[in-house]
Amino acid sequence: MQLDELKNTWDNPNNPAEQKQHLTTKMIEQMTQKKYNSKIKKIAYPEIIGVIICLISVLFIGINFYKLDTTFLQGAGIVSVLLLATLSILSLLSLRQLTIPEDVNRPYAATLKIFATQKLQFFKLQKINAVLSYLLLVSILILMSKYFDDRDITGIKYFWIYSFSFGYLFLLFYSKWVAKYYKKTVKQSEELLQDLQQFYK
Amino acid sequence: MDKKGTFIAAIKENEGFIFKIAAVYTNSTDDKNDLVQEIIYQLWKSYDSFTQKSKLSTWMYRVALNVAIYQLKVSKKRIFTILIDEQVLDYHEVDNSKTEENWQIFRQQIDTLNLLDKGIVMLYLDNKSYDEIAEIIGISSSNVATKLSRIKEKLKTQIFKKM
Repeated sequence: MQLDELKNTWDNPNNPAEQKQHLTTKMIEQMTQKKYNSKIKKIAYPEIIGVIICLISVLFIGINFYKLDTTFLQGAGIVSVLLLATLSILSLLSLRQLTIPEDVNRPYAATLKIFATQKLQFFKLQKINAVLSYLLLVSILILMSKYFDDRDITGIKYFWIYSFSFGYLFLLFYSKWVAKYYKKTVKQSEELLQDLQQFYK
Repeated sequence: MDKKGTFIAAIKENEGFIFKIAAVYTNSTDDKNDLVQEIIYQLWKSYDSFTQKSKLSTWMYRVALNVAIYQLKVSKKRIFTILIDEQVLDYHEVDNSKTEENWQIFRQQIDTLNLLDKGIVMLYLDNKSYDEIAEIIGISSSNVATKLSRIKEKLKTQIFKKM
């Protein structure tokens, strides 16, 4: 189909994009109301719940920090708090990217540049998130065994063997899956940015 | 006519393009309806920022395309907002099997283009001048011409590949 043929389809008033749909005054008035802009908020709920859980965990570790009686356990406590805080910030940052900014008047090419850049950043963030989440899992396991069973599992050699070998395998497969899953998106974003560099200064 | 009245009239005048953008940038009826709503909501929200340096329709096209891009981020995490009330829509039955088929071919072709080319082609198909396309996209008129020429070549190549 060449451009002229595409135009025939585009101009056809019966094409599925336009067919049967005419907005009434009432519908347009309804669509201008804030209540219809609730999609982002609904998407935000699971993220916000995740952040709240992280904050509660930070609070729990803080309150019970005195129970961590060795330097290593205290280190695990500090690492857990830092990881929980970092993951919360990353989650909020990714949420911020989803909201539509005030300036929707900017040129389309400028929006695309931001869009493609954010896509690439998101890909990197996914990888960082996986590593941090795994480290958090290990440090939380150490803390929980101490808090709830009063055991220091870091002395058990199998704990380290299993946690590191499992962690290595997990990260290996996960990073391969992420790379495969986002391969097309990453390629498209990179090509789009190259195209924009050429035509949009 | 008051501000809202002018806005509603402008939307009705350009609704065809809004529906077409929504159809090209989404893959389901629900996503399409959501995008139509989001575009109209954002147009109304930023209506005061329209400076009248350009035509109202040019400004509307620019906002609509930008919103479509932002909505792409959300569409994969689809959540139902409202459904466009099917009762209120002005329905008229037509035999659309051929047009439906043509539209599917149209979508296949358009989807091979990147988002920059897609935006340019849609404006071109909607009879916008090179200057208007340049203003909406944010590139020079000569670059619009270069781009369109490359897009035509690309579409031709795809036909040969399929043959």
